[in-house]
Amino acid sequence: MNCQKFETVVSELARGQMMAAALRGEALAHIDACDDCALRFRDEQMLTRGLHSLAAEMDSLEAPAMIEANVLMAFRARNAVVPAPVPQRRSHSAYWLAAVAAMLLLAISVFVFRWTNRPVADPRNAGNQEEPQRKSQPVEQATPQFANNVPVPEDEFVPQRRKPRRMQPASLSRPANNQVANHVTNEIATDFIPLSYMNAASLQDGGQIVRVQLPRSALVNFGLPVNMDRYNEKVKADVLFGVDGTARAIRFVQ
Amino acid sequence: MNLKNDLSDTELLRSMLAGDDEALTLLYRRRQAGVYRFALQMSGSKPIAEDVTQEVFLFLMREGHVFDPTRGSLSAFLFGVARNFVLRRLRVEQLLAPLNDESDEEIPSLHATADLCPLEDLTRAETIDSVRKAVLSLPAKYREVVVLCELQDVSYGETAEILGCAIGTVRSRLHRARALLLAKLRPVGEFEEAGSASVKSARCFA
Repeated sequence: MNCQKFETVVSELARGQMMAAALRGEALAHIDACDDCALRFRDEQMLTRGLHSLAAEMDSLEAPAMIEANVLMAFRARNAVVPAPVPQRRSHSAYWLAAVAAMLLLAISVFVFRWTNRPVADPRNAGNQEEPQRKSQPVEQATPQFANNVPVPEDEFVPQRRKPRRMQPASLSRPANNQVANHVTNEIATDFIPLSYMNAASLQDGGQIVRVQLPRSALVNFGLPVNMDRYNEKVKADVLFGVDGTARAIRFVQ
Repeated sequence: MNLKNDLSDTELLRSMLAGDDEALTLLYRRRQAGVYRFALQMSGSKPIAEDVTQEVFLFLMREGHVFDPTRGSLSAFLFGVARNFVLRRLRVEQLLAPLNDESDEEIPSLHATADLCPLEDLTRAETIDSVRKAVLSLPAKYREVVVLCELQDVSYGETAEILGCAIGTVRSRLHRARALLLAKLRPVGEFEEAGSASVKSARCFA
């Protein structure tokens, strides 16, 4: 072993650290042969002894008892505080419950308001208050029947406005050649004729009626008779559009 | 309490985090001395050591769940926390490196005479005092290695975990720290002689 290699192991040797027996033997042999390295080894040993003495002197030192008391006090205070989030969490959940309840209440209020103010399609359900209004209109008094003497079914009463309204499925199942009198405009109209293979119940969702003009030849497509003398004239029709915007049914108006 | 004495540090910590103050007491009594001594040896100040000890256990109380037993022992974890608190405190108080080679404060030498048995010429208290001052005069990165490996008898592996470095780094720092300590503890005349000797040696190594 040379001095350079001895320098790398002298600390470990002086500290009594575990090392290979052969390496330790070589290092000890080098100490015997080299005075400088022997001096170096002696210094390292003295330093090790000094450090051990310092460690031994401080070995009995401990933190003052006051620290333990402080730590325990803080721990107990912390644990006493731990339940605090529970009521806070409760207040949070109570807040959310109150918010949900308020929203439900608002939704119910809106629903009730709209229900009570909804358009009345059936005059039988309109109550006594609407009856005088209808009677006050001269048109309604004049023509309670169709031209072909078919009694006007009360559930086919057409309101004045053209806002979306619920359609009764029964009107679609009725024969197409039945005509309905419009009490407001004194018009005569056929029943609604379905335009597609739809289920009548699908019109329960409501829809919108749009007045259009069609060539008179369009009557042929629905199996209705056409007056050839007035072939070039247009014919009025009400097209019922569903909520999805597709034409569901049509009726012809005269 | 007697039953809990047999519990490991990790089990005590788990109980402590569940709110068991008895577990905290046991854990504190088991580990406080090492933390306190480490802080005292690193700072040389009792008030700092007391504050750091308290802060370490308060930290354990608050953040004890971050301890991962698979990464090392709780003792090493506490030393690591204590190290951070000590360094932060020393940085704040500007107590770092008050003693260095250029310092005016004289460090008592282990070699009071040219005798081959210098320790016999000094009282034990003087020797310990000189070593303590020499250790405190080391730069922090060398001081912490000396404190852990030499004074706290922590293994190289655990020291590497505490410091977050490789074992080889610990070895080399300890070697360098011991050389610095010897240089500080050597009398001036001998230091100069040894200094020239070391230069000579260095030339030989080259």
